[in-house]
Amino acid sequence: MLRVKAGDVDRMGLLFERYHRKLFGFLYHMLGRADTSEDLVQTVFYRMLKYRHTYTADGEFRTWMYHLARNVLADHIKKNRHSTHHADVADFAEKIGGGTQADESLQREQEVATLHQALSHLSAENREVLILSRFQELKYGEIARVLNTTEGAVKVRVHRAMNELKTIYLRIEN
Amino acid sequence: MDMNCEQAQQELLDYLSKELPAEEQTRVEAHLAHCAGCQEELQALRQVWHTLGAVPVPEPSENLRPAFYSMLAAYKEEEAAKPTFSLTGIWEKMQAWLVPGSALRLAYGLGLLVMGLVAGYWLNSSPKAVAPATADQQQLAALTSQVEQMRQVMLLSLIENPSATERLRAVSYTKELSGANDRVVDALLSTLNHDENVNVRLATLEALAQLAHEPNVRLGLVKALKNQDSPLVQSALADVMVQLQERRSVQPLRRLLNQPGLNKAVKSKIEESLKNLSNGRPAAPSTTEPYHETDYTPQPADPAGTAV
Ligand SMILES: [Zn+2]
Repeated sequence: MLRVKAGDVDRMGLLFERYHRKLFGFLYHMLGRADTSEDLVQTVFYRMLKYRHTYTADGEFRTWMYHLARNVLADHIKKNRHSTHHADVADFAEKIGGGTQADESLQREQEVATLHQALSHLSAENREVLILSRFQELKYGEIARVLNTTEGAVKVRVHRAMNELKTIYLRIEN
Repeated sequence: MDMNCEQAQQELLDYLSKELPAEEQTRVEAHLAHCAGCQEELQALRQVWHTLGAVPVPEPSENLRPAFYSMLAAYKEEEAAKPTFSLTGIWEKMQAWLVPGSALRLAYGLGLLVMGLVAGYWLNSSPKAVAPATADQQQLAALTSQVEQMRQVMLLSLIENPSATERLRAVSYTKELSGANDRVVDALLSTLNHDENVNVRLATLEALAQLAHEPNVRLGLVKALKNQDSPLVQSALADVMVQLQERRSVQPLRRLLNQPGLNKAVKSKIEESLKNLSNGRPAAPSTTEPYHETDYTPQPADPAGTAV
């Protein structure tokens, strides 16, 4: 029976409250645009409602959410090929990086900005695993279920992504 | 067994994020203790990893939450629009054609949301001493009737919509009306008789059946028999007639039976219905009427009432 009790739909409000920030963060890091990310958060929650019968109770909710989020993201990127990772991340980084760094906190700020910029230069595939493991704090096993791959493959990808990030970071810094 | 540099560097990231099992961790530490190169590598990795953790994520704007809740409200409306007839399969297909978010529907969802907020405000902030509870109740009653009016307006405007999905939605609003006025009944009957889409007609029939305690609805349903050409609607209507034990339907049902080219299944369904009507026994599967031992013959699992 596809008709689901109203209670199920109302529960979506709780899930929204609990997860929308994380989800927004994921999309924001993937796209580099806050406004688009908000639209996509909305789309992900709409799909959760619409396809909630595909969520099996034994699966972890987070895994399912990122799974849907990736699909939404892929659809979005397909539709907007010309503008993948948007410039405002890089702009932000340059703005901060341009000043003179007198003290330590400013230098720290610059490091963060540089890294943010480096992150935006990473390939989408590598950026994704890093975001999932570092920002979303998913375990390799969970990431593997989101990406439909093995834990070993995730581990390798995270390592490769970290190395790529490190290289880009050092290149921008020098 | 000591690790070599390559093995150690493989584990550094997990070491950093404390993902390693204790035994592995000890082995990595043992290697680090005497390898300056790997220590340096760990240092670099640590800097990037920690800095990465400090990259700020902006807060979503304050629009996100209300946008979500009005989407949720609109979705619930949409959900309610699903006919409870056994049409789920067809309905799913129709959903695929659905144009997301017509302006009208959005306005409706938002309207409900705003009213909900206003109601909540009234309920939560009843002025301190004076305002007697009855004032709140009056306000709430006024609000309820506004919502009711809005549903009627939605129903009447959407029922003419070129999209079948929108018309289905319109029909679904009947369920939420406490009673139907003549305009609504007329609109529904006209849809039952003239809508080109079978699903819309079926959903309308179901909605009207709920209102059959109204004499004009009952009569309208009897009159609708002669207008139906779809086997699905014919059968469903026959079922409704049996459930209502509506004797006035006997004539039109007989006439339908004589119609050339009548669907076989419908034919037997109508014959059965006529028998039922003359026995005066409702065909509802839930019937708890006792059977006489002598009459009793085992029934197939699927009672007539669910055949559509
Ligand atoms: Zn080493």
